[in-house]
Amino acid sequence: MSIAAEQTIEAACIELGLERGRKSVLRGIHCAFKPFELTAVVGPNGAGKSSLLQCLSGVQNPSSGRVELNGVASGQMTAAQRARLGAFLPQSETPAWSLSAADMVALGLLPWGRLPDREQRIQQALLLVDAQEFAERPVTQLSGGELRRVQLARLLVGRAPLLIADEPTAALDIRHQLQLMQNFRSLADSGKTVVLALHDLSLAARFCDRILLILDGEMLAQGTPQEVLTPALIGEAYGVSCEFRWRDGVADFVPLDLLRKSSG
Amino acid sequence: MLKHNKNAVFLLLAALPLALLGALGSGPVSVDLSSALAEGWSGQSSDAVILWQLRLPRALLAILVGAALGMGGAAMQGMLRNPLAEPALLGVSSGAALAAVLFLYYGAAWKSGWLLQALAIGGAFSAAAAVWLLAGRGASAGRLVLAGVAINAFLSALIALALNYAPSMFAMQEVVFWLMGSLANRGWDQLFLALPFLAVGVLCLFFTRNYLRALALGEDSAASLGFQSRAYPFLILLGIASAVGGAVAVAGTIGFVGLVVPHLVRPLVRQDPARLLWISALAGALLLLLADILVINFVGAQELRIGAVTAFIGAPFFFWLILTARRGQWL
Repeated sequence: MSIAAEQTIEAACIELGLERGRKSVLRGIHCAFKPFELTAVVGPNGAGKSSLLQCLSGVQNPSSGRVELNGVASGQMTAAQRARLGAFLPQSETPAWSLSAADMVALGLLPWGRLPDREQRIQQALLLVDAQEFAERPVTQLSGGELRRVQLARLLVGRAPLLIADEPTAALDIRHQLQLMQNFRSLADSGKTVVLALHDLSLAARFCDRILLILDGEMLAQGTPQEVLTPALIGEAYGVSCEFRWRDGVADFVPLDLLRKSSG
Repeated sequence: MLKHNKNAVFLLLAALPLALLGALGSGPVSVDLSSALAEGWSGQSSDAVILWQLRLPRALLAILVGAALGMGGAAMQGMLRNPLAEPALLGVSSGAALAAVLFLYYGAAWKSGWLLQALAIGGAFSAAAAVWLLAGRGASAGRLVLAGVAINAFLSALIALALNYAPSMFAMQEVVFWLMGSLANRGWDQLFLALPFLAVGVLCLFFTRNYLRALALGEDSAASLGFQSRAYPFLILLGIASAVGGAVAVAGTIGFVGLVVPHLVRPLVRQDPARLLWISALAGALLLLLADILVINFVGAQELRIGAVTAFIGAPFFFWLILTARRGQWL
């Protein structure tokens, strides 16, 4: 899997806050994402992972603070400009119609308007995720793993330098999980800036360069996997006692027991 | 199975002029088509008057109304991401219907060639405005439709109330017949009244074609692809209000076209929600023209209402849908 990055991008969240109704779901988030880096956003359910990714991808406008792409506030770009820089795969992207896999991938080119090498790009994206053989099959007839590959091709076809995916490994078997994480790893190695929300801490530790740990809409910790994935921080975020067994920089994450929540 | 079926599209395109000829040749009196056509617009013979002043505007109106309903249905299904949606869900048709019902209620019908239609268009836009206000600023497509359902239910209740307290059996009959839809006795007046609204509606929906494409993936994906603006759902509401409102105003409420047509022709355009707009307009025009030919040639004491015809076409379609679902294809 190799695709030369045509453009690299640095993304940053600056004092990012988001309110939904009267609930504040993100508060004072400060973080940066760099080319060649694979970043995992982790945290318990409802911590604000999806909200952070939605703000980063421009799906949500933050209530306060801003997102900057290569130093330019994304709010000052047109929607199409922003969409060309950052591609986003939401938690569940199920097509409403029985489009063919190739037609679904083609939707990723919408921010670009007419392109002379449109067909070529679609075929290349399908090739990247090893999905050429079902290019003409209706997506409603694909298995979960096949659909995820088509979604990944849809994410990649626009060649955005920033790739954001919300729990891309959810509902995949271990083989497809590994394959997907390897895909994202090599995309990062080729110069993409990759941000994933993940629940599987072992996968996060093994494949990611940086980890952001979010709790109740605030940044609890950020750094390398070794810095963030510690029993103390994980215990604080998830309320679970755990063990990390590090072997050659790869962590086996073993959750042990529920912690009694201390009062307050 | 996902072929872009060009042949079928050409077939539909070719069938439309043939159906138009069929409509021009249909009627209680037989007309020498070729000589009447040769006489032209200002022909004085009875054949020419029947052709140019009665049959042609009626046939063209069937085409326009069918196209508006088909396209409105395609846009509605695309916005809701649901193949069972239809434009009436937005309350636009009920708005037009209520205005028309109130007009008929006070017995003022038929005193003017266009007042009823103008009021009905006003009703359609008022309903759309109510939906927009109820949904609130920056409403998503989903909230917009929910507001539409609420407004539609309220307007339907008002129509029922108006029927309940109809001043006379005659007024009630007028209302019921209007609600069943008809293209009888429509002329150039109605056509020219509806035309600008249909044109504006088509234009609005044209600008949302790529939004509808992106929306196939869901609202979040569409937003990430550059379609974050809430102007898109608004344009769809405006487009449906204008096109379907204009159509309902001149032809009454004609059901099932907006529901059945997009569903039928979706496989012909590889399920693409954008191309579906055009093919649905084409197929809707053809369907309504054929239905009107049936109405014209139906011999009976009472006029056969076109809404009843489309319902008879629509209901078997649902039987067929259920049967395919039972074979395990979907649902």
